[in-house]
Amino acid sequence: MPVFKTPFNGYSVKFSPFYENRLAVATAQNFGILGNGRVHILELTPNGPISELSAFDTADGVYDVCWSEAHDSLVIAASGDGSVKLYDLSLPPTNNPIRSFKEHTREVHSVDYNTVRKDSFLSASWDDTVKLWTVDRNASVRTFKEHAYCVYSAAWNPRHADIFASASGDCTTRIWDVREPGSTMILPAHEFEILACDWNKYDDCIIATASVDKSIKVWDVRNYRVPIAVLNGHGYAVRKVRFSPHRASAMVSCSYDMTVCMWDYMVEDALIGRYDHHTEFAVGVDMSVLVEGLLASTGWDELVYVWQHGMDPRAP
Amino acid sequence: MAMRDLVTGAPSCGEPSSSNPLGALANALIGSSSKNQERLKEIPTSVSTSSNGNFLGGVEEPLVSLPGSEFEHPLQPNIQGSQFFQGFRSADQNRLADAWDEIQRPQLPFAHGSQNMTNIPLEHSRLQPDLNGPPQQVLSSFLHSFVNSSHGGVPFRPASLPLLGLSEGDKQCIRDRSTIMARHFFADKSEDFIHGQVNALLSSLEIDNHVRARGPVPGRYPELEEYWNESLAMKPAPHVADGWINEFAQNRVGHADPNAWVQSFEQQHGANGWASEFEHEQSQLGMIGQMRGANIPNLAAMEQTRMLAHTLAQNNDPKFQNSKFLQFVSKMSRGEITIEENQFKPAVSSGDWAAEYQQQHNGGQTWADQFAHEELSRGPQGWVNEFSAEREQHGSVNNEWVNEFSKLNVNDDWADEFGRQVAEGAFGETSADGWAEAYDEYMNEQAALKQQSDASRGVYVFSDLNPYVGHPNPLKEGQELFRKGLLSEAVLALEAEVLKNPENAEGWRLLGIAHAENDDDQQAIAAMMRAQEADPANLEVLLSLGVSHTNELEQQAALKYLYSWLRHHPKYGSIAPQDQPVSFYHADVARLFTDAAQMAPDDADVHIVLGVLYNLSREYDKAIESFKTALKLKPRDYSLWNKLGATQANSVQSADAIEAYQQALDIKPNYVRAWANMGISYANQGMYEDSIRYYVRALAMNPKADNAWQYLRISLSCASRNDMLKACDSRNLDVLQKEFPL
Repeated sequence: MPVFKTPFNGYSVKFSPFYENRLAVATAQNFGILGNGRVHILELTPNGPISELSAFDTADGVYDVCWSEAHDSLVIAASGDGSVKLYDLSLPPTNNPIRSFKEHTREVHSVDYNTVRKDSFLSASWDDTVKLWTVDRNASVRTFKEHAYCVYSAAWNPRHADIFASASGDCTTRIWDVREPGSTMILPAHEFEILACDWNKYDDCIIATASVDKSIKVWDVRNYRVPIAVLNGHGYAVRKVRFSPHRASAMVSCSYDMTVCMWDYMVEDALIGRYDHHTEFAVGVDMSVLVEGLLASTGWDELVYVWQHGMDPRAP
Repeated sequence: MAMRDLVTGAPSCGEPSSSNPLGALANALIGSSSKNQERLKEIPTSVSTSSNGNFLGGVEEPLVSLPGSEFEHPLQPNIQGSQFFQGFRSADQNRLADAWDEIQRPQLPFAHGSQNMTNIPLEHSRLQPDLNGPPQQVLSSFLHSFVNSSHGGVPFRPASLPLLGLSEGDKQCIRDRSTIMARHFFADKSEDFIHGQVNALLSSLEIDNHVRARGPVPGRYPELEEYWNESLAMKPAPHVADGWINEFAQNRVGHADPNAWVQSFEQQHGANGWASEFEHEQSQLGMIGQMRGANIPNLAAMEQTRMLAHTLAQNNDPKFQNSKFLQFVSKMSRGEITIEENQFKPAVSSGDWAAEYQQQHNGGQTWADQFAHEELSRGPQGWVNEFSAEREQHGSVNNEWVNEFSKLNVNDDWADEFGRQVAEGAFGETSADGWAEAYDEYMNEQAALKQQSDASRGVYVFSDLNPYVGHPNPLKEGQELFRKGLLSEAVLALEAEVLKNPENAEGWRLLGIAHAENDDDQQAIAAMMRAQEADPANLEVLLSLGVSHTNELEQQAALKYLYSWLRHHPKYGSIAPQDQPVSFYHADVARLFTDAAQMAPDDADVHIVLGVLYNLSREYDKAIESFKTALKLKPRDYSLWNKLGATQANSVQSADAIEAYQQALDIKPNYVRAWANMGISYANQGMYEDSIRYYVRALAMNPKADNAWQYLRISLSCASRNDMLKACDSRNLDVLQKEFPL
């Protein structure tokens, strides 16, 4: 299975929604505590190593990336300096970024592109806000400010163009409708900070939250008093969680316990796979939309792994 | 190039490619390729071409219609609320589309809606302002140690750093980010612990603690937060002692090599002046410390690096044991790396400048010795006292906080939790050791002092007021006292020995054994680790470490040492595979020893190790068998009788165990551990009054046996002797001995 070594600590990895062999990786120097950052655009070659298509340097660490759903060459990066940057792969690195949106007053921790209307994206920041942007306006469309602490992640509903969820260190997940002035629902999902959330791709009412309490909880927003499932198995804070684009009940997560886990929240023994390939915190994970079962992960060991579910990521 | 330039990131250091020795070092050690250091390409400050618009083709909706945008502007009263959630409830997804359409109609033109999109200015101005940060690898490995401290949840004990030249912005950034991240790593720990970790990081980076950081998460215990802040505000400023380090660092970087520093110092103060100057400094610091509770442990950076390495080595995670960072820290702590001529080099001899100084001036004590002697012999206690005094001054605040804390019923929670643990574990399958340890850990976590406590794992704590310091031959004296069974006295003499000769493996080993027999495994482990450091192949040391870790229920560590024992053994070394495995599996190690036992059935040691191994896997019958075999070969080995007894006690044969302990005590009447174990066996049989007598006897011989105090307390409660709990808590042995004569 191919591996790519990044010079800085990996923070996030995302498959392109347009090309099955393309990935974007966000990295930050010194674990994102201080230093530069770099966005890598990687290409999988058949039976060969991972090659680097392009790389963009930034003054501060890059904590997250996402691909535009509207244009195959656009990548959006979340930066530690509070800016959100837009890169166009069709242009050389010297002409990038083509935009830098600077409104957040603190680190931007996640970005997510709208998959339904494909015209906007969200940024979640440690300044406690989520902002809504379009690629062609240099000011945000809206700011969502209700969380009382860092917002670590914001994720669009895969079915409804205006609905998204946000995960915050204030121990709540909030569901928002951008047409509404305030949040539509407050989900006190965990007793500890919530680091990530994601929507089920097959059931638009199901959401998963990942927390510092080491657990992942799956919720039905129509009945949010009790979780549908509580997934225990990580040994430290769970950093990211993603639902499978191919199987309704499958999800993948990564954690400060250095592992990547596969789950099926419908079955009793929900933990269906554990990958122990990283040697430092595993903080980025994604599942390919275009190739079923293809996984990618990155971590603070400065490695990006791409592998097929069920295989050993480290197998040569 | 001046040293200062190299370490402070003066212009030439802006290119961390090859000229940064610390970077080179980190590369060499951590093995990260020099590609990491690849220079960032020149980042352009302007862009001439624009790709504007070429990516807009895919956008289906005109921008002005993007929902939600109106909320940045005065809200139109006629906008309908979303029916999304009704949609959810009715599961009729079409409603949503209707709602969406409805919203679409009253379109608002937005303020910027008419802007010509191709003319949006591109952002170039703030591009990559300064890529010339501090020397990245120094910081990197340093931050690495901070991050890694999260793996084991161990207190972060940084070494002092050279000046890094961090800007205010950088510092703020490090402070804020590390605070937020630390809350993720240390989710299990208390807020105090997290602050301790972050403050340790910050003070080493000379980052002002007063920069306001991101507070703790609101919402969890918001009421507590206020009190936390208050108590934080009352804390003494932590950087008094750091001043010394700064000064030292400045002195150090001011001269191109360490020798020059020493020479120039000697010119000023004469060969012995240094020590007196140091003492002088110390006493001054001491005074400041008395006033403000100085952070004395910061001064012994080397010792701390060593502790860090040890503590990290304790982590059972095999990944962690493999950590490159750990190897780095170990090398640092052993002085195998030194700064010389602007390059990090593996040291030819013992390395650091103090050692170099020593080499040049044989006979003179190193400053580390001097420090240890001056400071440690009376230091930790003094420091604790000072701290207590400090606490008393702020007592009102603390009490208030505690009261508030109790009001919130948090105390009840943990009491419950504790009760639950007791119910589940105390007298069940886990041994009493186990839960006492868990209790200890829990208490430690609750204690605000934890991160600064010298008594934490792997750190050898010296006694204060040691009469044997200055003794002409403390080792001989210690051996004599040990032979006589005067364990506590022997400990003091041996401490004097290792203070005098820190590299004396035998001194450390005997000290470790004395502690083990005195029923203090923590100190035993700490001493044995120092012994192992001085002599990595000493079989007795390795065996003792294996046993002590078994006592502390640390399987991985125990297996590691038992395996090392086999590898270093002249007879059995060939059995063990040459390359040390990443992690140890009990079955593998046990198989190796079974082979060894077949090779040499008359070697008692192999049977002893097998017995220990079976204890680890809780196969007590096999363990008893192994110990009995060993006892046939070594009938006078009192510690072996004790092991047999402990194993029998663990396998619920407490009556047999008492017999074995009695054998041990017949051979060695002052064997504190056997007395304490005897007490445990009686307690296990429900004979609490008897157990109390044995505990008291053990404690009379070694009042420092903390475990025994806890067992005693439990037995007193179980025997309904609550009237004596006060004497137990105040450790009043006179009262206890009178009440419970043996």
